[in-house]
Amino acid sequence: MSGRARVRARGIARSPGAAGVGRMQASPQPPSVDLSDSEGSCSRGPVDANKISQQRKETVSPGDTGSTFVEGGMKIRQDFVDLDICTREKLAHVRDCKTGSSGIPVKLATNLFQLDLPQDWQLYQYHVTYSPDLASRRLRIALLYGHHKLSNKAKAFDGAILFLSQQLEEKVTELSSETQRGETVKITITLTRKLPSSSPVSIQVFNIIFKKILKKLSMYQIGRNFYKPSEPLKIPQHKLTLWPGFAVSIAYFESRLLFSADVSFKVLRNETVLEFMSDLCHRAGASGFTQMCEKQLIGLIVLTRYNNKTYRVDDIDWSVRVTHSFQKRDGTEITYVDYYKEQYDITLSDLNQPVLVSLLKSKRNDSAEARVVHLIPELCFLTGLSDQATSDFQLMKAVAEETRLSPMGRQQRLARLADDIQRNKDARFELETWGLHFGSQMSLTGRVVPPEKILLQDHICQPMSAADWSKDIRTCKILSAQALEKWLLLCGSRAENVTESFLSCLRRVGSSMGFGVGYPKIIKVQENPAAFLRAIQQHVDPGVQLVMCILPSNQKNYYDAIKKYLSTDCPVPSQCVLARTLNKQGMMMSIATKIAMQMTCKLGGELWAVEIPLKSLMVVGIDVCKDAFSKNMAVVGFVASVNPQVTRWFSRCILQRTTADVADCLKVFMTGALNKWYKYNHSLPARVIVYRDGVGDGQLKTVNEYEVPQLLSTVTESHSNTSSRLSVVVVRKRCMPRFFTERNHTLQNPPLGTVVDSEATRREWYDFYLISQTACRGTVNPTYYNVIYDDNGLKPDHMQRLTFKMCHLYYNWQGLISIPAPCQYAHKLTFLVAQSIHKEPSLELANSLFYL
Amino acid sequence: MPNRRASRNAYYFFVQEKIPELRRRGLPVARVPDAIPYCSADWAKPNVSIPLRRPGMLAPRQTVSPPDMSTLTLKSDQALLGSIFYFLNIFSHGELPPHCEQRFLPCEIGCVKYSLQEGIMADFHCFINPGEIPRGFRFHCQAASDSSHKIPISNFEFGRDQATVLKSLYRFIHPNSGNWPPIYCKSDDRARVNWCLKHMARVSEIRQNLELLTVEDLVVGIYQKKFHKEPSKTWVRSLLDVAMWDYSSNTRCKWHEENDTLFCALAVCKKVAYCISNSLATLFGIQLTGAHVPLQDYEASNSVTPKMVVLDAGRFQKLRVESPGFSHFNSSNQDQRSYTPTGDYPSGVKISGQNSSVRGRGITRLLESISNSSSNIHKFSNCETSLSPYMSQKDGYKSFSSFS
Repeated sequence: MSGRARVRARGIARSPGAAGVGRMQASPQPPSVDLSDSEGSCSRGPVDANKISQQRKETVSPGDTGSTFVEGGMKIRQDFVDLDICTREKLAHVRDCKTGSSGIPVKLATNLFQLDLPQDWQLYQYHVTYSPDLASRRLRIALLYGHHKLSNKAKAFDGAILFLSQQLEEKVTELSSETQRGETVKITITLTRKLPSSSPVSIQVFNIIFKKILKKLSMYQIGRNFYKPSEPLKIPQHKLTLWPGFAVSIAYFESRLLFSADVSFKVLRNETVLEFMSDLCHRAGASGFTQMCEKQLIGLIVLTRYNNKTYRVDDIDWSVRVTHSFQKRDGTEITYVDYYKEQYDITLSDLNQPVLVSLLKSKRNDSAEARVVHLIPELCFLTGLSDQATSDFQLMKAVAEETRLSPMGRQQRLARLADDIQRNKDARFELETWGLHFGSQMSLTGRVVPPEKILLQDHICQPMSAADWSKDIRTCKILSAQALEKWLLLCGSRAENVTESFLSCLRRVGSSMGFGVGYPKIIKVQENPAAFLRAIQQHVDPGVQLVMCILPSNQKNYYDAIKKYLSTDCPVPSQCVLARTLNKQGMMMSIATKIAMQMTCKLGGELWAVEIPLKSLMVVGIDVCKDAFSKNMAVVGFVASVNPQVTRWFSRCILQRTTADVADCLKVFMTGALNKWYKYNHSLPARVIVYRDGVGDGQLKTVNEYEVPQLLSTVTESHSNTSSRLSVVVVRKRCMPRFFTERNHTLQNPPLGTVVDSEATRREWYDFYLISQTACRGTVNPTYYNVIYDDNGLKPDHMQRLTFKMCHLYYNWQGLISIPAPCQYAHKLTFLVAQSIHKEPSLELANSLFYL
Repeated sequence: MPNRRASRNAYYFFVQEKIPELRRRGLPVARVPDAIPYCSADWAKPNVSIPLRRPGMLAPRQTVSPPDMSTLTLKSDQALLGSIFYFLNIFSHGELPPHCEQRFLPCEIGCVKYSLQEGIMADFHCFINPGEIPRGFRFHCQAASDSSHKIPISNFEFGRDQATVLKSLYRFIHPNSGNWPPIYCKSDDRARVNWCLKHMARVSEIRQNLELLTVEDLVVGIYQKKFHKEPSKTWVRSLLDVAMWDYSSNTRCKWHEENDTLFCALAVCKKVAYCISNSLATLFGIQLTGAHVPLQDYEASNSVTPKMVVLDAGRFQKLRVESPGFSHFNSSNQDQRSYTPTGDYPSGVKISGQNSSVRGRGITRLLESISNSSSNIHKFSNCETSLSPYMSQKDGYKSFSSFS
């Protein structure tokens, strides 16, 4: 939703060498440089510009696999890398059928649309050469497009490779064309290959076609998505504007080509940077204005309406005025004022404004010199939400009301998009010339798997709603808990009064759930991190089971200091609670219950279980994330169950120096987990199922070829006589498809436990969607599971149900969660390490869920 | 050229690297495609080294020399105990990409003079004026600063010009007989510190070849000299990377202490000294003093409890609260952080001998205080565990942790 977050994410992914900024101080390049590069609104150049402008985006470049694409195609290209991996064909038991059968069938609507092609549809790829050779890509494109022989054909061309939907008569076609200067150029078009509609290259061409079509529906591409500025949603009370839009993609699903679209919004502020600056000047006064300005503006993302592009403000150049001139690429000098007048017919009103400086990421090879853009504050609109705004509850509520669409609202927007594509004459023409037909919205049949029972110490509970069973188990005793006898409670001097009442509450709920809580040693400390840390250092001795800290504020340094010391230097489980939380008198019971449960887990207790039909099954969750300090450190978390009931866990975390989110250390982890299992069960697990989260686009290949062998070798090496069988499942929280059920003539979110394993899945994978979370507002996101390795040979039904069971076991939430519990544990662990500890936690804590 | 972002894989660079050689062989190779036919055979060879990045893009890599312990003249334990090391660190406003001429923007420097026998003998700390931020990198630098040391990137009142800082540093290190002592920093920081030193020397036109070695190698060296065994790198790293002194008093510089920021160049150096004292100096049987580790924080626990109330079994039990918290380090802070030059010493330098009240007696007081209380047992436990693979506690010399 927020452009800022997206750009930040992009910034992180950038390798240190990629941003070319070598000779940047020389002469700042004019805005024209980058505008003309990627935006088609300016008409310059010696040849027919309309064609160029349409064409510039759809650049396809050659490459050995044909899947290297130039412009903005990052995501799609990465997807294609994934597409090359055919894991299903290696899994014998699902080669013919990967669908399950248990559960109640449910009819589901989707956000997928059928794209029909003629049976014999083919894409023809040509190589184009020019004689004499032309360096300018634009000129090449214009000459080819201008030629009458190709003018009425559907085509995509990047300057060297031409795609056509119809074959030219000859294998080699020679054309001649004339430039405006009167030179005659010979164009040779040679057929290189014919591609079927399912080939990755064809898919890429389809994506390019739809980019073109969405532009014809007056939508603009910002980042990866398309937005419609002509139909803004306004939130005037917060000075915000939302542009509605879509994320779209075309892909080959189980049996056919499908177009998927998801609603997206762009948040803009109704304020230009210039207005922001003058407002700031009024408020802050002239003294220290520049510093104030730099502090507030630098790092923000702005959008320039004249070309609908976004930039990050990297610097402000106070010495340059808009009346100053810069050198255009052709060498002529022009002032900023004149440039904007000439190029966009925009008159700048404030001639004294400074210019904003933005560093461009070089799209070409990284050896290129620095490119900076000067932007005029008057023309820049702030986008996204500031931190201040995101903490404003009213504002976020207003935004959520517009952006969190109910299934019905989402369906309406989708239907309108489909309607627009079918009705718009240009769009239809474009589709027809390519031989495509935009079909109807697809619906399919899913299955709702039966709900699970929750097993407690002396009670089996069938929850009313799987989303939240906290009420159902309120009076029940938990499976097992270690009594808490010797513990410390540190509180800030002001939190003294709430501490007593909280403690009595905690002891009460503890005894009712079977968790004995003794009286702690209470230490009152000054309200600063140093005092907390020092008190811990003085009072923690080997007998202490747990340290609880009642923190005066949610400043990160309290939490970081405590967690860092107690997870690495002196390994003792710790529980931090904000004093503010304890002040909510009415909620004391439920807060105390949650804290008691967390404390139980931190001491190695078990809360509840579900029925696991497989004997001797180990479930593993893996997650990877980046360290908050050094972006070249990856934090890998690994959590494995160590008992057949899947209630006790072994957790480890390692920091590794890499740029990719790929785990190196799985062998160590897996060996450790198997040893632990052996220690407790005196045998090895018969089956190991690994859920791997945190796999990005295009990383599937690495996971498959690098991580799976690590796991496999450990599992098979462990003991020669009884080797465990392994399955690896890639878990993805973000996926394109959405599902809705129809009930009482409206669309609703599908029920919990809905499984989709046909039609919206991929043919080459053993995959399924599972809905294991509720959305009280908006549309639920299915979780996507892709089984990339499977020795266990479990039936798809069993795999799906086992995965559903795993979503019940997250002890920090008395209900279902969106991903399997071990993944969520691994995520929690990596998050704690990446944000606070930045170091491998002590192994002494590995047997408890100390990071909850 | 349309194919600007074509896939430049390892093979491409491999071929590119081969081109000069092919030209020497007289083959007509102008571009990479021409050279491909001649290179395929070589590529197929098993032991080809593949440059992962384009060779030109590789940052110049400093060759890290193995620890040269001969410079220490470690003839005997006594010589080793008395020999003086300098720990240095320089902070920067982030790191700029490799093609920039200016890779770092030095903003803070900290240095301590240390020996195993004496502990920290003197320290030096200064903020540095980083100079003009390269145009377009303000965001980058600001973000780097915000996520670590939080020193303002411009208009910082304490920042001093690089020539002055460098001169002060040289005066602090102050070689008696022409021979400059080796300077140590953590291996992760070495590239940055080295670059900053060179850069500052270039700017201020003072040439002095300081030898910059890594602390890790120093620890390995000392350990080897003493026990004739080589410790593992992991052990050394974990020894130096400890969170327990993060908030110790008299460790960070005044500014960082006031702003409560953990990242401080001086604190990094002092913590190195603490870690070495706590784990190595004890192996030599040296009694730890306030100059070795921040004892005062711990001896304060029972005598001058900073407004601390210990409640036991639910009953309130007021201990001494009359003494205001941390008066101890407030007073000791005042003289050492003055930025005016005092006497013969350059500004920013503090000689710990000036407030020697803590030195030497710290450990006795600590022992006394510990014997009064039983709650101090687990204090420095991690150091104990980290030593255990190499040292049994019966060896006579005990680490700080085992005194209780």
